[in-house]
Amino acid sequence: MNRSQAEQKLQQIFNIDHFYDDQWKTIKRILNGERILLIEKTGFGKSLCYQFPATQFSGLTIIFSPLIALMRDQVKYLKSIGIPTECVNSGQEPEENAEILEKAKNGQIKIIYIAPERQENREWLEAVRNMQISMVVIDEAHCISVWGHDFRPAFRRIVSLVRLLPQNFPVLATTATATKRVAEDVRTQIGNNVTLIRGNLLRENFHLSVVKVHNEESKMAWLAGFLKKHAGGNGLIYTGTRVNTDLFSSWLQFAGISASSYNAGLDSESRKDIENGLIENRWKCIVSTNALGMGIDKPDIRFIVHTQMPQSPIHYYQEIGRAGRDGLPTRIILLYNPEDRELPEHFIKNSRPSMKKYEKVIDALKTEPMGEWNLMRATNLTQTQVRVIRADLIDQGIIKEVMYGGSKKYEYQYGAPQLDTRPFEELRNFKMAELEQMISYSESSSCRMDFLCRYLGDDTVNHCGKCDNDLQKDLHYNLSEDRQKKIDEFRDSYFPELEVETKNSNIVNGVASSYYGISNVGAAIHRCKYENGGDFPNHLLKQTLRAFRHKFGNEEFDLVVYVPPTESGDLVRNFAGKVARTLKFPLSPKLVKITATKPQKIFQNSVLKRDNVKDVFLYRDESGIIGKKILLIDDIYDSGATIKEIGRLFTKLGAEKIAPLAIAKTVGGDI
Amino acid sequence: MSDIQQYAYWMALAHLPKWRTEKINRLIVEILHELNMSFYDFFEMDQKSWSEEFHFNSKELNDLDIAKTELPNYSFLVEDLLNQGFELIPIDADDYSPTLKNNLKLKYAPPLLYTKGNKSLLKESSIAIVGSRNASDISLEFTKKIAQNTVKSFQVVVSGFAKGVDRTALEETLTANGRSIIVLPQGIMTFAGGFKKYYSRIIEGDVLVLSAYHPKAPWSVGLAMGRNTYIYGLADKIYVAESDVKGGTWSGVADGLRKNREIYVRKPNPGENNANDLLILKGATPVNINGDIVQREELENFEEQVKNVLSSKPLTAKEIKDQIHIDIDTRKLSSMLSELTFVVKEKDDGKNRYRLKNSELIQTNLFDSRDI
Repeated sequence: MNRSQAEQKLQQIFNIDHFYDDQWKTIKRILNGERILLIEKTGFGKSLCYQFPATQFSGLTIIFSPLIALMRDQVKYLKSIGIPTECVNSGQEPEENAEILEKAKNGQIKIIYIAPERQENREWLEAVRNMQISMVVIDEAHCISVWGHDFRPAFRRIVSLVRLLPQNFPVLATTATATKRVAEDVRTQIGNNVTLIRGNLLRENFHLSVVKVHNEESKMAWLAGFLKKHAGGNGLIYTGTRVNTDLFSSWLQFAGISASSYNAGLDSESRKDIENGLIENRWKCIVSTNALGMGIDKPDIRFIVHTQMPQSPIHYYQEIGRAGRDGLPTRIILLYNPEDRELPEHFIKNSRPSMKKYEKVIDALKTEPMGEWNLMRATNLTQTQVRVIRADLIDQGIIKEVMYGGSKKYEYQYGAPQLDTRPFEELRNFKMAELEQMISYSESSSCRMDFLCRYLGDDTVNHCGKCDNDLQKDLHYNLSEDRQKKIDEFRDSYFPELEVETKNSNIVNGVASSYYGISNVGAAIHRCKYENGGDFPNHLLKQTLRAFRHKFGNEEFDLVVYVPPTESGDLVRNFAGKVARTLKFPLSPKLVKITATKPQKIFQNSVLKRDNVKDVFLYRDESGIIGKKILLIDDIYDSGATIKEIGRLFTKLGAEKIAPLAIAKTVGGDI
Repeated sequence: MSDIQQYAYWMALAHLPKWRTEKINRLIVEILHELNMSFYDFFEMDQKSWSEEFHFNSKELNDLDIAKTELPNYSFLVEDLLNQGFELIPIDADDYSPTLKNNLKLKYAPPLLYTKGNKSLLKESSIAIVGSRNASDISLEFTKKIAQNTVKSFQVVVSGFAKGVDRTALEETLTANGRSIIVLPQGIMTFAGGFKKYYSRIIEGDVLVLSAYHPKAPWSVGLAMGRNTYIYGLADKIYVAESDVKGGTWSGVADGLRKNREIYVRKPNPGENNANDLLILKGATPVNINGDIVQREELENFEEQVKNVLSSKPLTAKEIKDQIHIDIDTRKLSSMLSELTFVVKEKDDGKNRYRLKNSELIQTNLFDSRDI
């Protein structure tokens, strides 16, 4: 097929009259059974480079994509133009996925989008053995490389798969963001004979700037001002942590700006809803971690503000790349406080657990094959630690991931090599150097677009003529007293949510008066609990009652129950008594522990925490629970395992509603 | 040279439906060695060049065409296998068992092995202890002794993982801290229970699990029978604890004897109901309960006695049994008699009678006392 023949078909199927040169160059080679790594900026039209060939092959095209939102958008689009396309992902019901796999086996689908994790899924692996496959596509291929901004272990199996595919089987890897080093790494990993096709990276419609500030309050105040007065259209605010997505969006709402928060901790339904809201411009902005935006097909994101600098210029380029795909002027702003380096530095330095923890995992796996949860039980490591260690050990060929019936277990390997820690150090040093580059960007006085493009291996820009430096603006922000007052007001009324609702329990989401680590509340609790400081002070009571009012208003409860203590004596009982007296609900001391438990804090992961409290509670007046609305009080909310266990017990006993109330919620915790 | 990029091709060829092993092996040899092609080149050919170059019939062409379209699917399966710690050993790889190749040759040596564990066991000197699933206590005792001896001499015990002798050989070997190759009657991905059970010995390098079948193939009688060939093939020496006159052990040993393999059979005690004697008669070396070689005299004696009693006239097995006072099942005696080269069997009067080959048939009949 020559170009004009192909373009005729393009017109018929996609209603597009021609290819860009780089598109045709790619497509021609793909149709010829070659392997291509395509690096083009967002908005170039990378997806056509596999969608078009997919319509020309006799069999199925499999697209590995880590972005569920993107999958959904593309499936919708392709279906609308008559190309049978489906996606399989964890957000869909298993029955729906099974049905799609069946269709794929029967040859009723041309294109299937799946998440890379699916390559570890039994049903998928069984089904794919019976599909007639014509092409494999790796979207966001930078995820293959540890030298990029978003290495994902789930891509490991795709790399091994691609290396095993027949030589003349077409493979297309695409990304918008890859340094030379990442591109080289991806090429070597996916095998020989990979042709690199790379376009320029300049985003002409971007107005880049950096605003220098001195603290978090300044960021909050600046943001409110910017969104009220200067920002046209709708956009995204990126924070460095999940906690901050909630804090900033609450602040913006408090300041009268319509905002929503989004992070990977939300369930898939809420995420889907917010993604839709973004497309529909339901809010002025969405405050999110970098979990949002990748691959969302919204052409008119008008601004992106980072309240925290990312780990590296490549992270930054990727995150801002989601904006302004329509080519219209788009504002890209970084709020920069020199102290902000601490967060990424912390992430980099702690990206790997200590060697002792690696040994723990290896030793555990020498005794028997274990799944993730048993490994967490056996080692008392957090889920994140177990996952990081597991990925490294698999990568080094020390353990393997093996199927036992339907469950995944990890096996130590005969003849396994010793753990090699040199790659970890090399990577850490590399990431620290990249962070320095990010700081250089923030403090640079030359063209910012040029800086980013050079960093990514494109040195054709020189001056964008649109960034703060090219326009010779030096942007600073100092907080006025008025603003500070407004923020204090906000802080007094900001209460973290306790998210414990599940389908099988009558427990509802509750509230805490504050976060444990980032306010004076934590310190006050600590004094009372561990330094014999007496009862929890009155200001905690007031703050907690405010939180209660904020969340539950004038709702009436039939009983106030408190979590029986493990080691801190009567503190919680006395505190619950005061709450009950003030709210005029009866206090019940009938919830007891029938087995001694260990303090939850010694367990590093939620599996062990849950095991620790499972079936340890008893209510001394079972019939007294039926049909009751219960306010459940604890001092510190951490993993929620205790609260959920009690919720489970009370639901079983017939409670109508269980609402948790805590003095403080810890930041972090896994799962 | 085989690298992992070739594995999908190896699988596609090794599992061509209903192709005899020899045919697959010959095709592989032809492609890689005689024509000096790569598998990639081979699968790039169209049906026309295939038939010109290789003279395939239409069923074969069709099989190969399907195999070609399934190559990407095999890639997925190979990835899954490797990810789970299984290894693939093609017949031309250095890791392939030299014993197996030497014993079975291109005719029966599987083109592709699937393993997990210490594959260097394939290079060690090895013995197999074989016998029936319902072996007697004495056979199991023999099995244990042989296993212990094998461990003492640092050899590897090849086991088929069947009930009875197989399993006893394996367990005894591992208890004695020895090393074993488990040869599966099924695909290697269907053995999760076994992998769990032998986990610690596998990761210590004492056990290699091996299958020559499609990784997903479930257990079947056919595979279990076929697996015996591989057990015999993987062992330098074979010890027979107990054999029936038919079944896997019997046919395996009989086949081994035809190929002049080193086969040792436990000499049964008087009154044992098995075919061990018969195998010894067919040429296997008799050993005692400790595995030491014993003299064949008694059996030679048996031949002499048969000659004697048959010298006057043909007799039924029952009559022979009574005359030579041998304590043995009549049916088994019949089998033993039919192994003797100087005896022929004939049907007379609805009864099987045995006579000496060079005795004068007509004369004996003419003057047979019964007729007078």
